[in-house]
Amino acid sequence: MDMLLEALTSLLTFESMLTVLIGVSAGLFIGAMPGLTATMALAMLLPFTFSMEALQGLIALGAVYMGSIYGGAFTAILINTPGTPSSIATTFDGYPMARQGRAYEALAAATIASVVGGIVGVIFLLILAPPLARLAVAFGPSEMFWVAMLGLTLVASLSSDSLLKGLLGGCIGILLSTIGVSPVGGESRFTFGYPPLQGGIELIVALIGLFVIPELLTMSAEGRGALPDGGELRKKEVSIGKIARRIFSKPANLIRSCLIGQVIAIIPGAGGNVTSLVAYNEARRFSKDPKSFGKGNVDGVVASESSNNVMVAGSMVPLLTLGIPGAPPDAIILGVLLMHGLRPGLDLFTQSGVLTNGFILSMGLAALMLLPVGLLGGRVIHRVVIRTPYYFLVPSIAMVTILGTFALRNSMLDVGIMLLLGTAGYFLRLIGIQAAPIVLGLILGGIAEQGYVQTLMAAVVDPIPWLRLVSNPLSMVLAGLVVLGAATALVPMWLARKGLLDKVDANDRGGSS
Amino acid sequence: MILRLNTDIASGALGLVFGAVLWFPRADIGRLSIIFPRAILLILTLISIALIVKGFIKPSGRQIEITGSPRRLATVMIGFFVWWAVVEILGFLLTTLIAFFALTWYLARVETAVTWQRMLKWTPVILVLVGVFYLTFTEVLNVRLPSGLFF
Repeated sequence: MDMLLEALTSLLTFESMLTVLIGVSAGLFIGAMPGLTATMALAMLLPFTFSMEALQGLIALGAVYMGSIYGGAFTAILINTPGTPSSIATTFDGYPMARQGRAYEALAAATIASVVGGIVGVIFLLILAPPLARLAVAFGPSEMFWVAMLGLTLVASLSSDSLLKGLLGGCIGILLSTIGVSPVGGESRFTFGYPPLQGGIELIVALIGLFVIPELLTMSAEGRGALPDGGELRKKEVSIGKIARRIFSKPANLIRSCLIGQVIAIIPGAGGNVTSLVAYNEARRFSKDPKSFGKGNVDGVVASESSNNVMVAGSMVPLLTLGIPGAPPDAIILGVLLMHGLRPGLDLFTQSGVLTNGFILSMGLAALMLLPVGLLGGRVIHRVVIRTPYYFLVPSIAMVTILGTFALRNSMLDVGIMLLLGTAGYFLRLIGIQAAPIVLGLILGGIAEQGYVQTLMAAVVDPIPWLRLVSNPLSMVLAGLVVLGAATALVPMWLARKGLLDKVDANDRGGSS
Repeated sequence: MILRLNTDIASGALGLVFGAVLWFPRADIGRLSIIFPRAILLILTLISIALIVKGFIKPSGRQIEITGSPRRLATVMIGFFVWWAVVEILGFLLTTLIAFFALTWYLARVETAVTWQRMLKWTPVILVLVGVFYLTFTEVLNVRLPSGLFF
């Protein structure tokens, strides 16, 4: 407790506050740019922290991390382009809300959810770090396979028009993830004799292509901007207080999403992309009105943004206790810790307790700082998107996406792949195959493959090798959750097809009248 | 523009073609590397066949709609690829400036005729926008953008 108070004192200085403010603002700006991820934001900032004190450097990195994860929501909501992969699920309802003239509501909900998520993550980290770290070690290959499968049940939720087409999109995404060097066998696959393809299809490249390019093509063909003309923020109609009351009056969604975010964040390798997708899926499943998801339901934005910001502090649990980065940006923070002679483990909470607690608390401060910075930044970015004529907006977004894609690996091939996938994505959308299941498959394909192949390798002498996938209690629970998840998504679809839901609705109406 | 197309059969056929492209080169790949893609290819094939069968029995959509102008859609689509192809020849800065001017001019024509005076008025905005992003990426982020024949 003394350490915590000492850490708080060292944090409440003008220098630290300024560092957090600049870090959050910089992170927000970088996160809002398609193609620039939280990992890149941290990597860019890294050289600036070399000359800083250990605590100041870590505060700056934590603030940038928090800001960049949140910043991804801006473009996700305003132009249907996830700034960072962890805000993919924010596009599902955020952009429809913006198209309906409810951009401010979506931005404010994303901000409140991010602030709550960030603070909850910090509280979890402070209280539960050691016991949760033990849980993280229990996740072996078979459990990781089921975690990926749990994420893939979202395909059923995303396929409101046709489940088969959603599954086809998911399979295409998984197969795209297998291009390049195999994660277990180490061989090149599906490169068609073209060596540059050995690097595989980068997730961000596919993400930008499948989400941004079809939108740009549609805007060009229709001769319209990203949002309807004259779409104001409607601040007076929907105040921040009203939105906060709306979110906190039904806290189940927020609590569930934060818990999902925390549990998945401590699993090394899962990352924010998976947390937001799983949280979104669960929000939809538990909702009384699941049909409204994907059409502008604010609960979808809340689920996605709260869970991905819980992940920021949540993924520090395995990092600070075991030295295992929970998400890619954590690897950079690990580097900074090691650079200052700080080794993850118990010592970090005892000998360097003030520093570690100061770093953790600074992330809470960064989460709080999201509120003023985010609401102000949201207004500025919204005004830019609304007031820029579409004939400026289309080339501007195209330029930024080309730059962002190229900067990932200094590769023009990536830009070509991005354009190719984007063009294909436009036509696939026409025939009913949406981008979201493809991206979902691409994200989870690698995790599922690694878990699946490693489990089968371990079970090579077993009479029925695949039974190893459900050989321990944790994997059985996860497999059960997958079955339950698939059933709860599929049963309502089946009932609706049989017309049974209409009868229930009619009875409800009859009963109520 | 509305086109008559059975979307289920089209999706199924596309799945089969995509699967075939990845199915044939699989022979050279070792067991550990192919075990997972092979399982997914099998599932993809089954889903594609199911979609084709469904397309014949109970199709979900018999037409697709391309909203807006198909000509503008095709032009911008081709324009993006030309932009990409020329970057390594002319360099990022020059190509982007040309592409930006061309796209702005082409898309602004939808609303009203674009005069030279109007284009001249936009020039400083475009130059600043492209210049700021170019300098940010090259000088601040140290990204080596393609320089091509010029700079």
